[in-house]
Amino acid sequence: MAATSAAVVDTPNVTEPSLYLEGIPHDRFTQLRAIPGLAWHPYEDGGFWAVTRHAEVRYVSRTPEQFSSAIGHTNLWDLEADALEARRSLIDTDAPDHTRLRRLVAGAFTPKNIRRWEETVRAITIELLDEFAAQGGGDWVEMVAAPLPIQVILNMLGVPVEDADYLVELSNYLVEGTGDAQSIPPDAFGNTTELRLLPFNSPASHALFEYGEGMRQQRQDDPQDDLVSHLVQAESDDERMSRSEYRNMFHLLVFAGNETTRTAISHGALALAANPDEWQRVLDDPSMIESAAEEILRWATPVMHMRRTVTADTELAGTHIAKGDKVVMWYASANRDEAVFEDAFRFDVGRFDAGRPNSDHFAFGGGGPHLCLGAFLARLEVTVLLEEMAKRSICLEQTSEPVRARSNFVHGVLSVGMQLRTAQ
Amino acid sequence: MAGGDDLVRVAVDRELCIGGGICEMLEPEVFELDDDIVISSVISDGLLPRDRADVVVDRCPGRAISIVEGVS
Ligand code: HEM
Ligand code: SF4
Repeated sequence: MAATSAAVVDTPNVTEPSLYLEGIPHDRFTQLRAIPGLAWHPYEDGGFWAVTRHAEVRYVSRTPEQFSSAIGHTNLWDLEADALEARRSLIDTDAPDHTRLRRLVAGAFTPKNIRRWEETVRAITIELLDEFAAQGGGDWVEMVAAPLPIQVILNMLGVPVEDADYLVELSNYLVEGTGDAQSIPPDAFGNTTELRLLPFNSPASHALFEYGEGMRQQRQDDPQDDLVSHLVQAESDDERMSRSEYRNMFHLLVFAGNETTRTAISHGALALAANPDEWQRVLDDPSMIESAAEEILRWATPVMHMRRTVTADTELAGTHIAKGDKVVMWYASANRDEAVFEDAFRFDVGRFDAGRPNSDHFAFGGGGPHLCLGAFLARLEVTVLLEEMAKRSICLEQTSEPVRARSNFVHGVLSVGMQLRTAQ
Repeated sequence: MAGGDDLVRVAVDRELCIGGGICEMLEPEVFELDDDIVISSVISDGLLPRDRADVVVDRCPGRAISIVEGVS
């Protein structure tokens, strides 16, 4: 690290959560990308190597034996050993545990199998859009962006419709837990577990674990054709999945796709409202919808970074990095890297070749084994939404400023007013 | 000189495959995911033009696909 101490002084801060109230601090990331090698970024008592260029994000992501997900944590801060064990989900594992757990759920999320959910996604989308239109607009996040992904995933898991509202409520409390304000007391939902042992330090995680346990018992006695039954089957064979792995997997599946997809749909609306000419291109030529969906994902970058930990002294971008160092891949930066994206700060619905399904943007991670499990589901949701909007010639008009999340991790939008205008 | 149309043979490392099915989506004639074990395998003679083979190798998140030999 000594050789790079010059860079320490100049590293612009990109972790201060309040920066993100104004949006991603892109000017700072542009500065970071221009620093040769890796920049050392101070954080709390230590710091991390900031990986901000597309090429190196890709390398870190695709070299898991050098950059571990199982050590420390995949967020910026370390968890104490017992907390990491209690909270460990698919995201915080390396092979062979990762491969074993991932295969238990991967089959349900392949491009081929995700296509089977298209009609469900479409029905939910149409209902939400119609309601939004009937009301003459409103808070896009609350009325469209948030309910769409959660309703879809609950369908896949097999959660009965009458419980959907409860799980939506829990999911919303978990979202709070990713920021720094919790509106519920530690003993909410009858929780007695120390908060640091629960995902997002939230008592709502306890409630979600309990719910998952209830479903486990039910599906054991009466298996259905749903994702929970499939997991329960694997859990009954301890070699494939332990009880703790089951509950963390259930928790991850309920949560992982919600805040992320809602963020993509929120920024999608903002981008389309701000760039009416780009939306007009899509209306004129609906074959651009797939590309437009990819551009929205690049533009939004809902998950702004993930962290890895170095397993052995090595070199990256000419910088020496040591065993135990934290390395943070800034997807938000890689997705604006001019070396890969021409005119990267322009929202361009034609940027991605139509039919090229797995693009160069890193909204779903840098292309390694932790590549977002729900990538094709999220793509389906965004694509179907654009299709249904295009069919109705709906244009969005912004009626209020977005309220952004105070978070350096999820590029969240808490609310934004939109109204519909029919294209001339 | 090797060109992009030259045929090469691809293979799947079953240890590394994480079962996401991207290979099957890109090259359905060559790869198929087994629904029970959720591991991909080569179902054809495994021959692909080099540039298409490079794309699947590049897109495979498990880094499980490799080009095992050049043909022709
Ligand atoms: C636009 C929406 C979404 C975005 C931007 C997103 C983004 C991400 C990112 C960046 C990662 C980490 C990748 C890495 O470390 O290489 C990830 C992992 C994951 N995502 Fe998503 N995600 C989205 C939707 C979903 C959905 C709908 C699900 C549904 C279940 C989901 C489930 C997961 C899971 C389970 C993982 C962990 C995968 C692993 O560690 O093997 N995501 N996602
Ligand atoms: S793309 Fe790679 S990891 Fe995914 S199923 Fe095919 S071989 Fe396996």
